Amino acid sequence: MKKRILARSIAALAVAIGSTSAYAHDEGVTEWRLFVADQASPTVSVIDATDKALIDTYELSGPAALHRTSSGQTVFAVQGSEGRVSAINTGIAFHDHGDHADIDVDAPERLDMELAGERPAHFVEQQGYIAQWFDGEDEARFFTENSVLEGKPEIRTANIEAAHHGVAVPYQHHAVVSIANPDDASQRPIGARVVDFEGNHVGEDVACPGLHGSAGSGSLYALACQTGLLIISTQDGTPEIEHLTYPASLPEGSASTLLGGKGLQYFIGNFGADRLVIIDPSQGEEGFQLVQLPTRRVHFATDPIRPRFAYVFTEDGQLHKVDVLSGELTQSLRLTDPYSMDGHWNDPRPRIAVAGDNIVVTDPAAETLHFVDANSFEQVDDMPLEGKPFNIVAVGGSGVSHHD
Amino acid sequence: MGLLRAVVTPLLVSMVAFSAGTAGASEPALKVVASFSIINDFAQQIGGDRIALTSIVGPDSDAHMYEPTPADVKAVAQADIVLINGLMFEGFLARLIEASGSDAEIVTLTDNAEILQDPQGGHYHFIGDKAVFHAAPEDPHAWQSVSNAQVYVSNIAQAFCAADPAGCRAYEANQQRYSTTLTALDDDIREQLSTLPESRRTAVVAHHAFRYFENAYGLTFFAPQGMSTESEASAANVAGLIDELQSQQVSAVFAENISNPRLVEQIATEAGLPMGGTLYSDALSNAAGPASTYEAMMRYNVATLMSALTPP
Repeated sequence: MKKRILARSIAALAVAIGSTSAYAHDEGVTEWRLFVADQASPTVSVIDATDKALIDTYELSGPAALHRTSSGQTVFAVQGSEGRVSAINTGIAFHDHGDHADIDVDAPERLDMELAGERPAHFVEQQGYIAQWFDGEDEARFFTENSVLEGKPEIRTANIEAAHHGVAVPYQHHAVVSIANPDDASQRPIGARVVDFEGNHVGEDVACPGLHGSAGSGSLYALACQTGLLIISTQDGTPEIEHLTYPASLPEGSASTLLGGKGLQYFIGNFGADRLVIIDPSQGEEGFQLVQLPTRRVHFATDPIRPRFAYVFTEDGQLHKVDVLSGELTQSLRLTDPYSMDGHWNDPRPRIAVAGDNIVVTDPAAETLHFVDANSFEQVDDMPLEGKPFNIVAVGGSGVSHHD
Repeated sequence: MGLLRAVVTPLLVSMVAFSAGTAGASEPALKVVASFSIINDFAQQIGGDRIALTSIVGPDSDAHMYEPTPADVKAVAQADIVLINGLMFEGFLARLIEASGSDAEIVTLTDNAEILQDPQGGHYHFIGDKAVFHAAPEDPHAWQSVSNAQVYVSNIAQAFCAADPAGCRAYEANQQRYSTTLTALDDDIREQLSTLPESRRTAVVAHHAFRYFENAYGLTFFAPQGMSTESEASAANVAGLIDELQSQQVSAVFAENISNPRLVEQIATEAGLPMGGTLYSDALSNAAGPASTYEAMMRYNVATLMSALTPP
């Protein structure tokens, strides 16, 4: 077992803050790991984000989009071109005890679980419930993270009537699924509905023309439409959907890629090629804010630790810090040579992940990971990584570790 | 939840006719943020129309699980005073304050209140075959005894006086008036509940939000969850609870306004107990509901308890 021990024991910290929640043999541990998918060879590299050392590399069937669960215990590698979904136990687990969280750090491990299907695409996880969408199939698959970690994924399905490029959002007893365009299922979905796992529809279908893009933030989940967002909430465990319309004050456009704030409940999405939109659903039509970028965006990410900030990487090779309250770019930093958004959408271009106090940006052309201090917003290190390092996720954090 | 607003009502308080000259100021003397709806009501009672009041967690919403919004951050950034419960009740608070960069006075209303420890004495972690004990946090639901509510209100009045000396007489007058209301409320609760026989003083609730109530008024509540709704009850917790209920004189099971009732309904079914209604635990109702103020909440809870627990 590997642990990174803080300078002071938690017992000492507890004394300092007047808590009695831990004993002398408890110690603070911080661990962050990066999972980086290579676009040239089908692999995922696991990297110690502090030591910048390669921990392990896993072979996949094809290039992968990576998704981490909210617990951070599992990373899923969705290999759309090869029809495979693989899972990796990150080796980092937290156990919440209210007044503190315990951390358990072990070696990462490729899990036996693998899903095969026609064109796996959108992956959504909420509170340990997972929905994996397959663009070429007429049902979505649902399972729990725990069942994957235990090596026995228990798959439930929900019929979606016609194969299409859509999305499913999982809940304990229900799912929200996109509705295919009845005239042409190859076009974007036209709405969403709540279903259960016995084949029943719950409530009315809700229109969402051009549905594409989804994200969760706190207790809300959002689907992006050409007309606004569908906001999904649950009161008694059953999802309820409401449409939040783009205000007339916004210029023409819509979001098709969404991310959800962590620590602050908001959504951030693209709005055309060179703008972002920040959405605070609690403020209704007053809650939309546009952010103008200097050039077309390449990728954006939210900061789960400094929730006031998000980051966006633009074609000119710059990383920008976005203040989600003011909607302003507060700092910019040139990290790479320019990357053009012309060309195939899935060409390897920089991607962003936040690992503790580091913002990590992949630079596929330079075969490098760039490390930026999230507080000073200065580049602090590079790490060479052979191949075309592309998609990246970070897992980790701090907790208490008990030992003799 | 009416989806989009857990809260945030920038509220210029003007609804109650307060004593001793509270009215008048065209500009609020203080910008106050209350962390959740019960504190919001206390602040409204004391501040009257001298304050501009914003509540973070709104009616029928669960502060244990709340995720603050950018609008909340802006409200805290502009606040003179932020009123909080403390005792780790507002898990969102640290990141909210940090994100706001606020230099507002943070006032912890449970200071000087009588605080209960987890009666089960904490919890164990098992490291291999070795058990490690962690003392549990203090129970944050202190407002569930009216005597503690008096402490909350006193702390608010002191904080308002310190920040706005010109309004101190008004705040103190409001506190005096409201304190009288709370004293009468406390007396009334005791009088009503005293009529319940010993065999009808035990019930089940969704999470341990009522320890202060049982300690003050002599009832006993069992709960499948811990003190936070964040800790989901395990199947073993539930099975153990149902076993335990068999040996107790439990009269009814109550849902809570902030929790999904499914779990307690399952417990009621499996234990053969009646559902007694919904109690307001960690949040008020909206203005149209039966518990839109602290006083209304406590009276509604007592009426619900009396209705279910009074012998047929």
